[in-house]
Amino acid sequence: MMEKSTMSKSKNFFTIFAKGDIFTKLSYLIWGLSNIVRGQVVKGAIFFLLEITYIIFMIQKGVNNLKGLITLGTRQQEMVLNSELGIYEVVQGDNSMLILLAGTVTLLITLVALVVWLVSVYSGELAREYTLRNKKAPGIVTEIKELFNSNIHRLFLAIPAVGILTFTVLPTFYMILVAFTNYDGKHQPPGNLFDWVGLVNFQKLFASADTLSATFWPVFTWTMIWAVAATFSCYFGGMFLAMLINSKGIKAKKVWRTIFVTAWAVPAFISLLVVSTMVGERGIVNILLQQWGFIVDQLPFLSNEIWAKCTIIVVNMWIGIPVTMLMTTGILMNIPADLYESAKIDGANAFVQFVKITFPYMWFITTPYLISNFIGNINNFSVIYFLTGGGPLTLDYYKGAGRTDLLITWLYKLTKDNGDYNLAATIGIVVFVISALASLITYSRSKSLKNEEGFQ
Amino acid sequence: MKRAVIGLNLKYLNVAFIAILVTAVAVFLPFVAQDTQNVMIFNVVIGLMNIGQLKAYGVILILAIAATFISAIFAIVTFIKPSKMPAYVWLASNIVQTVTLTLTVFGTKKALDGTGLLDEAFMVKDFGIGFWLAVIASYISLWYTLKIAKSHSGYIVLVIMSIIWLFPIAWLLITSFRAEQGYYVGYFIPKGFTLENYTNLFAADSVIPFAKWWTNTFIVASVCCVLCTVMVLATAFILSRTRFKGRVTIMKVMLVIGMFPGTMSMVALYNILKGMGLNQSLWALIVMGVAGAAMGYQVCKGFFDTISKSLDEAAIIDGANRFQIFIHVILPLGKPMIINTMLGAFMGPWSDYIFPSMLFGDKQASYTVAVGLKWLTDFQRIDHYYTQFAAGSVMVAVPIVILFICLQKYYVEGLSGSVKG
Repeated sequence: MMEKSTMSKSKNFFTIFAKGDIFTKLSYLIWGLSNIVRGQVVKGAIFFLLEITYIIFMIQKGVNNLKGLITLGTRQQEMVLNSELGIYEVVQGDNSMLILLAGTVTLLITLVALVVWLVSVYSGELAREYTLRNKKAPGIVTEIKELFNSNIHRLFLAIPAVGILTFTVLPTFYMILVAFTNYDGKHQPPGNLFDWVGLVNFQKLFASADTLSATFWPVFTWTMIWAVAATFSCYFGGMFLAMLINSKGIKAKKVWRTIFVTAWAVPAFISLLVVSTMVGERGIVNILLQQWGFIVDQLPFLSNEIWAKCTIIVVNMWIGIPVTMLMTTGILMNIPADLYESAKIDGANAFVQFVKITFPYMWFITTPYLISNFIGNINNFSVIYFLTGGGPLTLDYYKGAGRTDLLITWLYKLTKDNGDYNLAATIGIVVFVISALASLITYSRSKSLKNEEGFQ
Repeated sequence: MKRAVIGLNLKYLNVAFIAILVTAVAVFLPFVAQDTQNVMIFNVVIGLMNIGQLKAYGVILILAIAATFISAIFAIVTFIKPSKMPAYVWLASNIVQTVTLTLTVFGTKKALDGTGLLDEAFMVKDFGIGFWLAVIASYISLWYTLKIAKSHSGYIVLVIMSIIWLFPIAWLLITSFRAEQGYYVGYFIPKGFTLENYTNLFAADSVIPFAKWWTNTFIVASVCCVLCTVMVLATAFILSRTRFKGRVTIMKVMLVIGMFPGTMSMVALYNILKGMGLNQSLWALIVMGVAGAAMGYQVCKGFFDTISKSLDEAAIIDGANRFQIFIHVILPLGKPMIINTMLGAFMGPWSDYIFPSMLFGDKQASYTVAVGLKWLTDFQRIDHYYTQFAAGSVMVAVPIVILFICLQKYYVEGLSGSVKG
């Protein structure tokens, strides 16, 4: 069996260089040399090939791409008089968007290359240790076999890593960079160039006299109110429903649960679209209310700001309560029954039992869920988009934003309708910061949770 | 005086008894009170009879009156000499009374307007003190008679909630079978039923390529279901069962990246996919779904964490390598999690709207159901296609609801896993 490949902890990228022999030192320059010398020819050759590929890429394209990252293009598209034909022709300029993308890709490739470099150094050192102990370094066949055993993480994580790097990390990184440019509706490639502007977008969004700030702060406030209201209304509603169905005298618990689960299992966009058409000005809800004699005029469920906000929260309860009900059902059953027995003997009624036993227990267990739910609600695109589409619209707000828009739907509108990518990216970063803060709280909280359990 | 009867809970007898007496008295108070006239419930019934307009509404009123008196009589009997039989009759008639009185709230305007019984058009606010007293006291009485009968008063809440929750679904179903086209109709129950909304969706000459949308989504969902699950399981297995340098870093990076809203990077993604020549094709959706799938490893990892490490050790002693442990030990034990992950991965593409809408723009043949159905409810199309939209929604919702209800158990396990994690 192969020896376990652990290196002493004192070794790092620099000490390996300092203490290594000549081949090790050279392998910092020629990747994989150390492996080749110690008999791991194929592995070393792969490292070397990767190095060559990277260098060729950098010479051919990479350096230019990185330069472009600084300028973001210099030649603007323009009309030039073709004197032979006597007409104006379009002369293609630089496309800032593609330049920025290429630059970002190059940065990412460089990052990957650095990781390969690091890996090659460690791998060479490992091979050296084998020879020092007068053992043969494992050949390529053994290494491949080890991919299914001790190195299985390399095998299993390879595809997810490539996927996440290309389709998540790269675009996210790109958009973070866009937040520092003026890539807006007026600077659309290929017709126009855009350029770095520093923190101007943040300044415009947070503290400027024009409509942008006048849009951002109300939207931000409503996002927070919505997230809190949506999270807690569904939380308590779901808990109430779960407790009700779980209580002793209720028969056919499964049937009741299935009724609510059915309502929830209908894909959210369908129920939201349907409800949105139902509560519209000419929708069935208004018609029925009129026919029953509750109202004379139609109620502005979606067209008045306050009404729309309340409608959104209520409809969200319709969707959210069944989920919480499903989740809390299991937890409620875990509460030791003798707690309730002794409470009953002490004369506590149902409400006191809830306040003193059920709620503290639930709160303790579900805090992480609540916070992730809160983050989810900040990012809750579909409820707003399918119900009100952000409306009612208002002229007080920046183009296209409405009174019920959340940060996330405003971001979507900025991207899809206005092409204000810089603002969209800036808002994205704001949402990230909010989520990160909330997560930090979860993290510290769940730590304390684990510790407390350690005491019990 | 302490009384006890097996099978009854007499603690609440007094409250329920008073409430039902109030209902009985309330019947003699004004039922409708408009500015100029007060009408008692008996007058309404007699008036309707006289003009021969008794119909369903009149029957409901008569039932309400009858049930009220039966309740009251049996309440008195129960009060004097508590026993099971009269208590149950009381409960039954109390239920009838409460339901009929509740229905009256919704039916009165339609029944009374135009009959000449009232001077002005009826509004709900015109109900008299007698009616409101009767309704409220009837609910209170029902609440406590349920307790007396050792049943559960929560049923009242559950029934009301169920009606609210099922109402939009009922509307969707009923609209999908409605013969009259159009969005605006002034009634709940259609005048005619038809299957045409469904057949039109799938007709060869249909303007709406719904069959195409459905197949598109089904293909994407099926492929994602398999590939995403493999990715998630592999990632979760590695991060849970193995220890290697950089493991914690990987988890932290994924956590941080995951906190950026996905909507933000759409444009960049679009350009990357365009660079790969994948824009406007279903492959883009599949590639996107599969590439990001590993980000959702946490729930699955949380589950794997709970499987005892000694199983791995035993397998290693038996000469198994990590790959074999994954296939032969962890996967069979992780079956609920596999099903949960597959369910999630399959259902995702059906609801996914943002990215497909961005990707396909005006190319309707490539739409997925979410984009297509939203497109149908556009204000230009809603009047023409509303019933077909409903039919399309049913075609999407029914398979998913069935799938979900069958596999509910596994989903709940995933949910509680996410709570613990």
